[in-house]
Amino acid sequence: MSKKNNDEIKLSIPNKPEYVSVVRLTVTSIANRMGFDIEKIEDIKVAVAEACTNAITHGKNEEDNFLVDFIMEEDKLVVNVSDNGRGCTTLNEIKNPDLDHLNHEKEGGLGIFIIRSLMDNVQIISNHGSGTIISMTKYMGEDH
Amino acid sequence: MSLIIEKYYYEEKKQWSVSLIGEVDIYTAGQLKETFIKLIEEKKEDIKINAEELDYIDSTGLGVLIGALKRLKQENKDIILFNVKPSIKKLLNITGLDKIFIIEG
Ligand SMILES: Nc1ncnc2c1ncn2[C@@H]1O[C@H](COP(=O)(O)OP(=O)(O)OP(=O)(O)O)[C@@H](O)[C@H]1O
Ligand SMILES: [Mg+2]
Repeated sequence: MSKKNNDEIKLSIPNKPEYVSVVRLTVTSIANRMGFDIEKIEDIKVAVAEACTNAITHGKNEEDNFLVDFIMEEDKLVVNVSDNGRGCTTLNEIKNPDLDHLNHEKEGGLGIFIIRSLMDNVQIISNHGSGTIISMTKYMGEDH
Repeated sequence: MSLIIEKYYYEEKKQWSVSLIGEVDIYTAGQLKETFIKLIEEKKEDIKINAEELDYIDSTGLGVLIGALKRLKQENKDIILFNVKPSIKKLLNITGLDKIFIIEG
């Protein structure tokens, strides 16, 4: 059986806040071209932007670029965001946002939770010092 | 893409009116944070946000709103959001933030 080759687009993005909007526009256009409905396009856009924002704010390799990889399959879109930053070993343990943090100094902690809520499948590989890869999948169909 | 912030203080209602136009993300969130800090320094009153033309807000922007609410809550003041687009409403829902801000309309 011959395996069908998937189309793939790769972006290398400078670690600068002004470029996240470029990724948002790109992924919107890719998902739209694949035929995702408006709500799913919005979910994908929001999730991918959160991953990019984390690569910039937490990856902290200022001179470096981070990579965004779009793999277009028949029934799904896979987006991988990878950085060469400091990594984080507790990334897979993040659960619900702690809204009682109203009393704490630190704001935030929403990004990973938002990604997990909006995408069908999320995998995070992150090791101390060797960067982070976050792989997100959204299916075209309704049964996911 | 960028962010335009329009603000006005209603003396009679003792309320700030803020219109957010465009996108709040990691690039524009600083601008929003500065605006809120100034507003709250000037008058610690309710902030009513017109989100009719707010196309997008990310976790960084939501963090700014949470930070502003924390300061307002010291005086029992609130942040009210109205005319919120469905995609943003969804985000407020899944994060539970719809329970700490007042959402109208
Ligand atoms: N690419 C990354 N590299 C290293 N650490 C990361 C990365 N992404 C996330 N983290 C770690 O995981 C934590 C949670 O990320 P998350 O996006 O949920 O929240 P946040 O970025 O701190 O705040 P918010 O997304 O609400 O603005 C971060 O504070 C950071 O410590
Ligand atoms: Mg984040």
